[in-house]
Amino acid sequence: MFIGSMKVQFLFCIAAALLVAAYGEEDDNDGARLLVAKLIHNKYLVENMDVIVKYTVYNTGNAAALEVEITDNSFDPDNFAHMSGELNARIDRVPPNTNVTHTVVVRPRKPGYFNFTSAEVLYRRKEDAPRLQVADSSEPGLAYFTSYKEYDKKFSSHVVDWAAFAVMTLPSLAIPFALWFSSKRKYEKLSRNTKKH
Amino acid sequence: MSGKSKAFTKEEELLLQDFSRNVSTKSSALFYGNGLIVSSIPIWLFWRIHLIDVYSNLISFLLVTLVSTYALAFAYKNTKYVLKHKIAVKREDAVTREMSRKLGEDKKMSRKEKDERILWKKNEVADYEATTFSIFYNNALFLAIVIISSFYILKTMTPAVNYVFSVGTASALLALLSTGSQ
Repeated sequence: MFIGSMKVQFLFCIAAALLVAAYGEEDDNDGARLLVAKLIHNKYLVENMDVIVKYTVYNTGNAAALEVEITDNSFDPDNFAHMSGELNARIDRVPPNTNVTHTVVVRPRKPGYFNFTSAEVLYRRKEDAPRLQVADSSEPGLAYFTSYKEYDKKFSSHVVDWAAFAVMTLPSLAIPFALWFSSKRKYEKLSRNTKKH
Repeated sequence: MSGKSKAFTKEEELLLQDFSRNVSTKSSALFYGNGLIVSSIPIWLFWRIHLIDVYSNLISFLLVTLVSTYALAFAYKNTKYVLKHKIAVKREDAVTREMSRKLGEDKKMSRKEKDERILWKKNEVADYEATTFSIFYNNALFLAIVIISSFYILKTMTPAVNYVFSVGTASALLALLSTGSQ
């Protein structure tokens, strides 16, 4: 039901490795080469609760990547509320053999299945590159957003439910006990007085 | 026949009931009403906490609640019967003293009538205490057994099976215990 986060992490690693910047000047080994991973950080995906999406950019090339632009159009405003982080982020420079991460928080508006697709990355492989390099991030894949009601039922401590249960049971225990106890006290008191005399 | 029954006063009828196992209609209604309320309460627990599917289990809720109501009313009745005699013995002195003080000033009342009134009061007090304690004791035990069995003993079962067995066992056990203590 929930996305298997471990599995997704494995898949994303493989996918990230495969998704080497693939367009354009492939024969040229000089310049920057970016691997971009898109990763969902939540263990449980729930309607109207934050989903943390992390983009990790790793430069495997021998030059710095310039004007890196990560654009994620997969979060349709009808289905997702954008909470924080830019869905269209720009990083001026990614030096060779370094990581840069970017995080976005969105909230799904409704429960159900959703396919997390890739984000698009544009960058310049070297300073004098005539055109921009296009790359895609890894795809986290299909996930299921649980309804908030279901999530709450499963993971809440049920304090309100137990309190309501206590309220329901209290009269059936307290009333007979109080009636019995008041009568008992009354006659035991009388009985003690009798013995004293 | 009707003339004969009219000859009995209310007190005499109560005295006749004193040592019988039968309960009055009022008592019976109290027992069944209480049994129904207490038997229905676990449905809340299973619905909200065990997440049982309410609609597909409506028939099971109805049947189990009815059986449990009957078993609980049976347990109340038996427990009350056992307790009533014990309480009557315990309260004898206190009730006699209370009634003697009340009736002592009344010179017109005969000795026999005073004794009857004391006996009637003793019966009333014992009946009241036995009824209230029986309801309290059985309710507490029933809820405790339901909680322990549903959350600990039968927690691995599906909620539907858990419900039937938890509530069924709790009420059956109470009915059995109430007969065993005679």
